[in-house]
Amino acid sequence: MKTIISLVVLVVAGLACSSEPTITKDMLDGGTLFDPSLYNPGKYLVSKATPNPTAEQARKPVIIACHGYSATTFEWDEFRTWANGRTDFQLSQVLLGGHGRSYEDFKKSTWQDWQLAIKDEYEQLVKAGYTNISLLGSSTSGALLLELVSSGYFNNRLVPRNLLLVDPIVIPSDKTLSLIGVVGPMLGYIETEQSAEEDKVYYHFRPQETLQQLQKLLTVVRQDLESGIRIPPACTLKVYKSKKDPTADPVSAVLIDKGTKTADGKPIDVALIDSDLHVYTRLTLRSQVTPKDQQNQTETFADIVGRVVR
Amino acid sequence: MKANYLLIPLLAWATLSITTAQNRPARSTGAVLDLGIRLQNSVNLYAENGITAQYTHPKLASKRLYIGLSYVTSRLGTALNSNAIKQDNFLASASYYFRPNWLVRPVARVNVGYFAADYGSSLFDVLPKTSLLASPEFGLCYCPNFPLKINASIGYNVITGDGLTGPGTLYPVFIQTSVTWNILKSAKN
Repeated sequence: MKTIISLVVLVVAGLACSSEPTITKDMLDGGTLFDPSLYNPGKYLVSKATPNPTAEQARKPVIIACHGYSATTFEWDEFRTWANGRTDFQLSQVLLGGHGRSYEDFKKSTWQDWQLAIKDEYEQLVKAGYTNISLLGSSTSGALLLELVSSGYFNNRLVPRNLLLVDPIVIPSDKTLSLIGVVGPMLGYIETEQSAEEDKVYYHFRPQETLQQLQKLLTVVRQDLESGIRIPPACTLKVYKSKKDPTADPVSAVLIDKGTKTADGKPIDVALIDSDLHVYTRLTLRSQVTPKDQQNQTETFADIVGRVVR
Repeated sequence: MKANYLLIPLLAWATLSITTAQNRPARSTGAVLDLGIRLQNSVNLYAENGITAQYTHPKLASKRLYIGLSYVTSRLGTALNSNAIKQDNFLASASYYFRPNWLVRPVARVNVGYFAADYGSSLFDVLPKTSLLASPEFGLCYCPNFPLKINASIGYNVITGDGLTGPGTLYPVFIQTSVTWNILKSAKN
């Protein structure tokens, strides 16, 4: 009997010591492909492109677009393409900390690191004199932006004009994330099913350490929402949420709606989108895109810009 | 997660007490109706509290088998004075108590029931808000020689929300503690 118990213990211990993922150089994880904003920040960040704006440039609306967990600036490339030629607003595509670099960089990053890149760009723009800044976040960036508000980050700073959240996550669709503290150390990492082209712009492997960070962030934001988040005066908040979403449970929109009020105590804006895609504004590299998906994307882009430039 | 703190000392105490409990006097022979409170916490989500009742009779596997009803709600937990979603769980259960002469008895339970969430706005009527419930539970019961029972267990909701179907705040793993009193017996249960 003792032998059987010892064998079981050994098997469990062996399973618990998971191996490192098999990363190839064709993956973003590999440390050879990097997010293009790291090579050419001036193409992605307004603070780098125009660090000394004229008075007119400083008044022009700037949208800081922030991507989701494991993604890169790629997630908002289509927004830039859609806006091509428009001169009534400027777009900053932020690369979150720990993202777009390598598996090891990602593994050691915290949610505060992810958020720091957003703060950096915001502070650089404010310092340069920009006065009309809006924040646009998809998925995990939605949670990061809500945490910025609830933590009082904007209390002694220029207040953003708009907070715009596309498929923000508070409740994950995959409920096993709630158990990551127990199963994560046994798994080591989680592999995602995505195409070879997506491997170049999204991490293929998700270190359990980062999934634990994600769970911590979601817990902080959920509890903040339960206590109530009041957005700053002269700032609006709109949530765009797919009715079905395999990554960020649509009930996330309910939690944000119940937990957030404008400065004068009014409800925020929520739009439920007839889509089953996560971050439905990103259609490039999807295996199947319907006319309805394209309509959802362009309508949302138009709505976002309409709110920012009005 | 608070229930963890109850479960761990209960397990430790059980280890110490099981060996000494073998020679406890035989149990009473009448029916048992336990009434009490149930404190439940989904891992990384809400605390949901409520009431529970269970009944057994000598003809039900010699009082090892209990049938019960429970109602737990976030209204009496996380949603009390907060913006958390108000949700209700109605459960019917069958429990089997092993080692009837032990002070601390292993318990296996199967729950089935109904879940309903209140999203508070008609805007969200298109989202799933109700579900069937099905969950096995395993734990321990502290059953002293008077009508009190303290039961701690871990359960697994087989049906959860996945972003496409099912309510999003129906989470898989929960921990529960229930404290009950046998109202059909005043001295021993």
